[in-house]
Amino acid sequence: MSADPLHVLANAGKGQSTRTVLRVIILCLIAAAAIASRLFSVIRFESIIHEFDPWFNFRATKYLVANGFYNFWNWFDDRTWHPLGRVTGGTLYPGLMVTSGAIYHALRTLTIPVDIRNICVLLAPAFSGLTAFAAYLLTNEMTTSSSAGLLAAVFMGITPGYISRSVAGSYDNEAIAIFLLVFTFYLWIKALKQGSMLWGALCALFYGYMVASWGGYAFITCLLPLHAFVLICMGRYSTRLYVSYTTWYALGTLASMQIPFVGFLPVKTSEHMPALGIFGFLQLLGFLDYVRSAIPGRQFQTFLWLFTGGVFSVALAALVVVTSAGIIAPWGGRFYSLWDTSYAKIHIPIIASVSEHQPTAWPAFFFDLNFLIWLFPAGVYLCFQQLADEHVFLVVYSLFGSYFAGVMVRLMLTLTPVVCVTAAVAASSLLDTYLSDKSPNPEEYHPEDSNDATSKKAPKAGLKSTNKPVVGIYGFVSKGVIVSAMTIYLLLFVLHCTWVTSNAYSSPSVVLASKMPDGSQHIIDDYREAYQWLRQNTKEDAKIMSWWDYGYQIGGMADRPTLVDNNTWNNTHIATVGKAMSSSEEVSYPIMRQHEVDYVLVVFGGLLGYSGDDINKFLWMVRIAEGIWPDEVKERDFFTPRGEYRVDGEATETMKNSLMYKMSYYNYNTLFPPGQAQDRVRGSRLPEVGPTLNVLDEAFTSENWIIRIYKVKDLDNLGRDHASAAAFERGQKKKRPAKRRGTRYLRTE
Amino acid sequence: MKTSAVFSAALSLVALVSPSAAKSTTALLTPPQVFKNTNLVHVISVEKNYVKENVNVLIENISKEPQDEYYLPFTADQVSRLGGVEVKDRKDASAGPFSTQTVELDPESDTLYLRIQLPTPLKAGVQQTLGITYYFLDAYKPLPASIKQDDIQFLAYSFSAYLPSAYATLKQKTEVKFPSSTIPDYTRLPGSGDVKEFPQKQGSKLTYGPFTEQPAGAVEPVQVRFEFNKPVTHISELQRDIEVSHWGGNVAFEERYTLYHHGANLSSLFNRVKWTQANYYNPTTHALKELKFPLRIGSADPYYTDVIGNVSTSRFRSNKREALLEIKPRYPIFGGWKYPFTIGWNSDAKNFVRATASGGYVLNVPFLEGPKQVEGVEYENVRVRVVLPEGAENVKYHTTIPEISITDASVVIHQTFLDTIGRTALIIKARNLVDDFRERELVVSYDLPLAARLRKPLVVFGSALVVFVSTWVLGSLDFSFSSKRK
Repeated sequence: MSADPLHVLANAGKGQSTRTVLRVIILCLIAAAAIASRLFSVIRFESIIHEFDPWFNFRATKYLVANGFYNFWNWFDDRTWHPLGRVTGGTLYPGLMVTSGAIYHALRTLTIPVDIRNICVLLAPAFSGLTAFAAYLLTNEMTTSSSAGLLAAVFMGITPGYISRSVAGSYDNEAIAIFLLVFTFYLWIKALKQGSMLWGALCALFYGYMVASWGGYAFITCLLPLHAFVLICMGRYSTRLYVSYTTWYALGTLASMQIPFVGFLPVKTSEHMPALGIFGFLQLLGFLDYVRSAIPGRQFQTFLWLFTGGVFSVALAALVVVTSAGIIAPWGGRFYSLWDTSYAKIHIPIIASVSEHQPTAWPAFFFDLNFLIWLFPAGVYLCFQQLADEHVFLVVYSLFGSYFAGVMVRLMLTLTPVVCVTAAVAASSLLDTYLSDKSPNPEEYHPEDSNDATSKKAPKAGLKSTNKPVVGIYGFVSKGVIVSAMTIYLLLFVLHCTWVTSNAYSSPSVVLASKMPDGSQHIIDDYREAYQWLRQNTKEDAKIMSWWDYGYQIGGMADRPTLVDNNTWNNTHIATVGKAMSSSEEVSYPIMRQHEVDYVLVVFGGLLGYSGDDINKFLWMVRIAEGIWPDEVKERDFFTPRGEYRVDGEATETMKNSLMYKMSYYNYNTLFPPGQAQDRVRGSRLPEVGPTLNVLDEAFTSENWIIRIYKVKDLDNLGRDHASAAAFERGQKKKRPAKRRGTRYLRTE
Repeated sequence: MKTSAVFSAALSLVALVSPSAAKSTTALLTPPQVFKNTNLVHVISVEKNYVKENVNVLIENISKEPQDEYYLPFTADQVSRLGGVEVKDRKDASAGPFSTQTVELDPESDTLYLRIQLPTPLKAGVQQTLGITYYFLDAYKPLPASIKQDDIQFLAYSFSAYLPSAYATLKQKTEVKFPSSTIPDYTRLPGSGDVKEFPQKQGSKLTYGPFTEQPAGAVEPVQVRFEFNKPVTHISELQRDIEVSHWGGNVAFEERYTLYHHGANLSSLFNRVKWTQANYYNPTTHALKELKFPLRIGSADPYYTDVIGNVSTSRFRSNKREALLEIKPRYPIFGGWKYPFTIGWNSDAKNFVRATASGGYVLNVPFLEGPKQVEGVEYENVRVRVVLPEGAENVKYHTTIPEISITDASVVIHQTFLDTIGRTALIIKARNLVDDFRERELVVSYDLPLAARLRKPLVVFGSALVVFVSTWVLGSLDFSFSSKRK
């Protein structure tokens, strides 16, 4: 990596100021590399907001910029969750939008005409540069090695585990939250080391910013008390700890309570109780410490410790009682799923249906962290060697972070900073040992030793040497082998990061790319084609029903009211949509009428072989609907007697009659010669006669059929039900009843 | 026209309050009968999606005094859709376009007049041939109003077989030119002379007349219905920005269109299968599939976006002979559908900007550079904004667009890209234009003093210097409470 030769250069530079200049240059280059590696999607596609949630953040930011902060704060959005609406201002983390809004207004005052979209797209890369800097600061608190911080900054800048959430266009809370996380930790270490109220207050300030930005702030809320608790258990209670913790807790909690979405949660929910508990515990300890310093005596001290333990257990018992009494809310569903990975699958299908809430597969660790994952334990081991207060923090963070990263794919993100820091400590200790050009004193020189030191033994010696003054390994061969191996690993890491970023994390998922036969890129832009059609050619307040995945995109791109969206706050409402999708037309139509649905949007990948379509997500709709209406929707009915999920002629009647199936395959067979209709996602041949739709009209289908939009028919003019009206339209007249009715009509006249 | 409507309301108020005043103006309720149309040929072209009318009239002054004002009547509705009026002397091309103006004589009547100012008063008994050209936008009604996706679109146009004139007309005829010879319906009139019945059909042309003498204000409503299986493209708003940069040596163009299809609506909703198949077998359709922008040679870096981002379905062919931007909307546009979009491109400043001998600059750009389609394009509102460099002064403009189409022109300040005093921007608003005016020029002349050109580099350099110096000063100060370090 670039740090290595530069590191050598840094050693070559004798003077302090030369080093500082080099350091600044290196950090700037690292920030540039971090930003540049996140721009794949902008270069390959365009400056566009990615995926799902970012579209909401983007829309909220536009609202903030257009209507000002106070309107944003009080924003009631009647264009989502129709007919309920959403108190958006009070149910979001405003940090991200306010940050972009502030940048936007700052640039405007400088009369730089930057589009708000470009600010949103490039916010995450810009903050990744800052994160690299924060990682540098944090690592410098951990070790005296001058290169560790720079290595950590490089790792932080380009590791895929962090890039996955911060490529250009990925305008999500994590974009700024990881910087705030690392920087808050840095400030915490700083405060703890110095026992400084100023640093503690700064820590609280950034903690408050973090709370305003991301729900993951609970990670800090739990980690800092845990660190404090471990320190106390190790007998390392000190006034430094007392000052820094109490400053952080008091100010930080007050700051966090200013966010409407958080409000009184810090004193009401179980997630926040450890912080409060440790706060109280520290007060007791402070008091006892004072008493102990005043009245020495062994027995008294023992008594006091017992007293402390008693108070702690009483407090814990009280907490349990208060929780069970309902004054303090128990752990939320997402937190339960952190302890028991199968909890969500059974109890809350809506959480389990999100792929990023699945447990992490082991290869993902290597995929996201590459060689850092095996430097990580080495770094933690090095922490044990010194084990100052800040190293305890790293150890605690490592354990905590590893566990959560194993439980949920998404939380790989919180593990990444500590992996980078510890791996950088390990790597720099290796490099410091072996790159040292100090020649040994002649009397200490034992040529046999250095010849024996093969590359296998070398790391051990290197690690031990961290205890003693660095003497280095003397032979050029061993030095060369270790250093070149490390260099190769570092270079491979860069290659891997680039490859992963370019291939796995840089697709906007709104725009799909495919290759033409001649190798040129072909853009498949069906999503925006359909959203633009909706935006331009439907009524301003036409309600769109779709599965919740597309809610934010419809709100952001099509600018139309939706029934449900990715802010899954109302499970019943989502289940209603699930029921409408999974039931027959006769059942769905009243549901759609009651919710004033004008258009229904489905995603169908059968023509193109696009696997993320609604038929593949259909079982989740069924499951979520079944959770509310177990009598009306049954998952079993969608499987054949042999337990297969099929869409071809063998599909069950329930499946064939479901609205989702009909909407997906309506008219699809007319595109093929008779009997040749093929679903390219599921690789099955469809029945020759396609489904009929009575209550919906096909309104728009995008070029590659990915998006299909249906218009909900109005009530029939003649008061017939839709099935018979549609049958009449098709010319399937039932002759006899019609005649009889005709004669009867004449007679009564 | 809103202003004239307000004007008429005010006038009628005045009329109500003071009947005597109204009485005194009665003389002006109709134009004075001082002319006679000796011969008149009225050519109506419905070949494109707007109507182009061409009136060649031989006028004769029948009064005693020389006259210099000729009036042409229109209804208020027509005036709101009227555009591009140009009047020339057919015999004398050097006389240039005559000045025209819409006036209201009778506030209580629906009729407004186009007042044509003859450059030299016509002496008594003298004749002159006027060539009057004008356009009507939004002129057609699709008939039937809604059709199927693969049906053929028919449009209907109503007009008067006699040209409504403020003067008596001795002899006249009306020709209608159609895009094709398929004209299923047209109003038949009893013939005169050796012709039994009007109109006479010759290929894709209908001819009403020649008619005998008609009094002033005579009308004979007729309607024609013809095949027009092409999109009726209507641009309700075009915002065209032209930004000149002397430092960058660049002229940047950006155009924002709000495009509608004013043809027949779909009777049943859009069907993708049919569309795909129809495209394969029979590509002529009334849906708008593609727009072609022939840009000036030397145009570069085009972009095509809409409100949700880049649109990838565009091609740009640029070589020494052409610079053709072909764009496809995200979806085919059918009748009643809307599609707003933005395109933009850059060009070298030396293609458009010239320094004059007196130290000023002259910018010469096309007033319109919209799409060039077989079926034509009409523009309801056009706003051209020319952003000149910061500090440009003494801005003057000249355009060959008919002056009656220009509704407003103003010079404002536009702040962008680290401007301190802002750039001078000329905003010209025009209405009811058609793509026939694509070639018309807009010439803007301005002065740019050296101080104005050096302003920005100096300001940026100065501010950077201030930042560095203040950082250095702040960094060298000691803010700590105790001075135990030293």
